[in-house]
Amino acid sequence: QQATVAFGGLKQDTSLPVEVQADTLAVNQADGTAVFTGNVLVGQGDMRLTAGSVRVEYGANGTAIERLHATGGVTLASATDAAEAREAIYTIASGKVEMQGDVLLTQGKSAISGQKLVIDLKAGTGVMEGRVSTVFVPGGN
Amino acid sequence: MDGHSRLVGWLKVALPLLALAILSTLFLVARTIDPEAAIPYAEVDIAERIREPRMTDPAYAGVTKDGATLTLTADEARPEAEGDGSAVKVHAQLATPDGARTALTAGTARVMSRDSKLLLEGGVLVATSTGYELRTDTLTLGLDRSGAESAGPVEGFGPPGQIRAGAMQIRQAPESPGTYVLVFNNRVTLIYQPH
Repeated sequence: QQATVAFGGLKQDTSLPVEVQADTLAVNQADGTAVFTGNVLVGQGDMRLTAGSVRVEYGANGTAIERLHATGGVTLASATDAAEAREAIYTIASGKVEMQGDVLLTQGKSAISGQKLVIDLKAGTGVMEGRVSTVFVPGGN
Repeated sequence: MDGHSRLVGWLKVALPLLALAILSTLFLVARTIDPEAAIPYAEVDIAERIREPRMTDPAYAGVTKDGATLTLTADEARPEAEGDGSAVKVHAQLATPDGARTALTAGTARVMSRDSKLLLEGGVLVATSTGYELRTDTLTLGLDRSGAESAGPVEGFGPPGQIRAGAMQIRQAPESPGTYVLVFNNRVTLIYQPH
């Protein structure tokens, strides 16, 4: 089943510059694909995404970055909320972050877990899918 | 014989003598031509060339073991001991078998033939066919095995955006030989401005 989640903390402007830090970046000389590896940190506004490795996927025209494909254990954190999953795909233009694989979302004292979480950064909302179970403390936050 | 034919008779003698005189003065009074002055090299140039043998506009081309061609041109090159050499204002191009091209420009270059390395110094500009343009201080290129490695930090930009890293390498990807990767390591930072 599905649970729609308010993601106040994660609402942000997706036209802010994206900064990616990592231990290494390898660029394939033939087709130009770029892969960051080694505690990768992606930052945009006050959103932080850390992952084992992030692959940069370009758009059709080959100049703009269309998607960041993060794998190897991803955590997405903002001022108040944090989400963890095995991998995540961040489509910069649409501001959608799709997290998959044992997703755990914590907001203050309450926590929701499921298989897939789609966050819309622009609207600040998220939809959790797949065996959603939630723990919240009444009157907690 | 009337006056006219006497005149012609005298002219037949006087005119050739006059021609002979003009011809001889042509060589006597002409400026002496000094063949030495024709050469454009100044005296000091020749002395310097003898003391330090060097080549102007040298060109070097080589193919590494893995089939990458490296061509290098410079303004001036000087041979040094045991086969080494140094060059000034260097342009090099590395064409790897996967079709990628990397153009390098450097202030100076030193060929170290013992360990077959080419050391580019004095500020190196690297432009790759995948659209990366980078600056670093020194870069060491392999002459036998294609690859390049920067000694210090590198910065520049590429298709994803502005890049800064602690070091940079161009080498064959270990997991898939034949494909070449441009690697930034020692903590790389990329800034991408969505537009």
